[in-house]
Amino acid sequence: MRAPVRGALAAAGVAVVAACGTLPDMPPSVPADIVPSVAAPSLDAAESGRLSPDGFDAVQRMAVRIRNVGCEGLSTGSGFALDATTLITNRHVVADSESLQVNTYDGRDIDVSAASTATLADLAVVRTEDELPSSPELAEADPEPGARVSVVGYPSGGRLTVTAGEVIGTTTDPLNENLGEVLVTDAPVEPGSSGSAALDESGRVIGVVYAKTTDGRSLVVPQSTLREMLDDTSAFTPLPAC
Amino acid sequence: MTSPTPSWEAAGPVHRPEDPAPGRRAPRRPGRGARVTAVVLGIALIVTLATAGYLWQTTTAWEDHAAEWESEAQRYADEVAALQVELDGVTAELVAAREQLDTATERITELADEKAQLGDENVASQQYLDYQRRVSEAAGVVATALEQCTQAQFQLIGYLENREAYDPADLDRFGDDVQALCNEAGEANEQLQQELAQ
Repeated sequence: MRAPVRGALAAAGVAVVAACGTLPDMPPSVPADIVPSVAAPSLDAAESGRLSPDGFDAVQRMAVRIRNVGCEGLSTGSGFALDATTLITNRHVVADSESLQVNTYDGRDIDVSAASTATLADLAVVRTEDELPSSPELAEADPEPGARVSVVGYPSGGRLTVTAGEVIGTTTDPLNENLGEVLVTDAPVEPGSSGSAALDESGRVIGVVYAKTTDGRSLVVPQSTLREMLDDTSAFTPLPAC
Repeated sequence: MTSPTPSWEAAGPVHRPEDPAPGRRAPRRPGRGARVTAVVLGIALIVTLATAGYLWQTTTAWEDHAAEWESEAQRYADEVAALQVELDGVTAELVAAREQLDTATERITELADEKAQLGDENVASQQYLDYQRRVSEAAGVVATALEQCTQAQFQLIGYLENREAYDPADLDRFGDDVQALCNEAGEANEQLQQELAQ
């Protein structure tokens, strides 16, 4: 008699213990703070370009309009800031000038202190008295064919304009103004665009626009040539007055 | 091992040594099985009651828990709704601000262009004024030279009409001077004409 009872009790005990495992637990206390931590919102690339003191992006802020008051007349060109008081343009933009007048994207006048031109490339360096609004970086390497390119300048002496295109390839300079090869792009340019910065998709300078071909393509002095000229202190000579 | 004896065996006809004499019925006692059953049932009842109590407490606790969560959810829902309204307002303000910024930057670009064009026109006008001044000065020089040439020629004619009163060599020299003066006047006039032709 005892053994069955013990067995039954044992079985009942096991059943009770097993049943206890299936019983629901007591609820936990409600946490005091259930607000999840989220990452700080960030602007996308298109919006981050607008983060500037006045709504103009860095590409526009670095561009300048150059007025060449020459002894024989008036001409205009484009340029871009290399640093706070230095800008780059073409030699033919500043040649034969009595005075140079520089305007920024927002119409401010920038006084020019000196100008010098390269003998082996259609490049010129202009020093300014006042600080320029913004300056870009030079790209580390010349672009490959097919790379996107944008040109910011003042075509036809008009308003500040940004045009886009692709690098088509390289060629020897048809104007014999530059040593070595120059870039060919299909970004639209006009007279007055000379000296404009050609930029890659990151806004870095890949070259300086200096001419337009008869079939509407633009010729660009590559940044490698610009770097070579800037590294060579004897490459630039003071601009003679007309 | 002894086998259990069911409680109903006591009513059977089997005689046992301790049983009283046949024909006399033994008093009935509750069997061990019944006691065990009662104990088991009691334990089961206790367990059931405990379980029921636990379940009741658990249910109550979960109800409170759910109510707290519902309250929290409602509070956050209200907060979300308020934030959504605020976000909509801020978004609308942002859109308006962006439009104003676009308009402002567009206007700044236009004004910068207008200023540049006016600067070009000003420089061109100044250059034109300088040109006009140079032309006027050159014209004055030409007119003066031509007048001097004319006067010298009249003077030379007067000398030639009274040729005997003068030394022929002086007359020839004066004639050469007049010719040189008129040549200079002619060259100045030619330069002026070239300047005007540009």
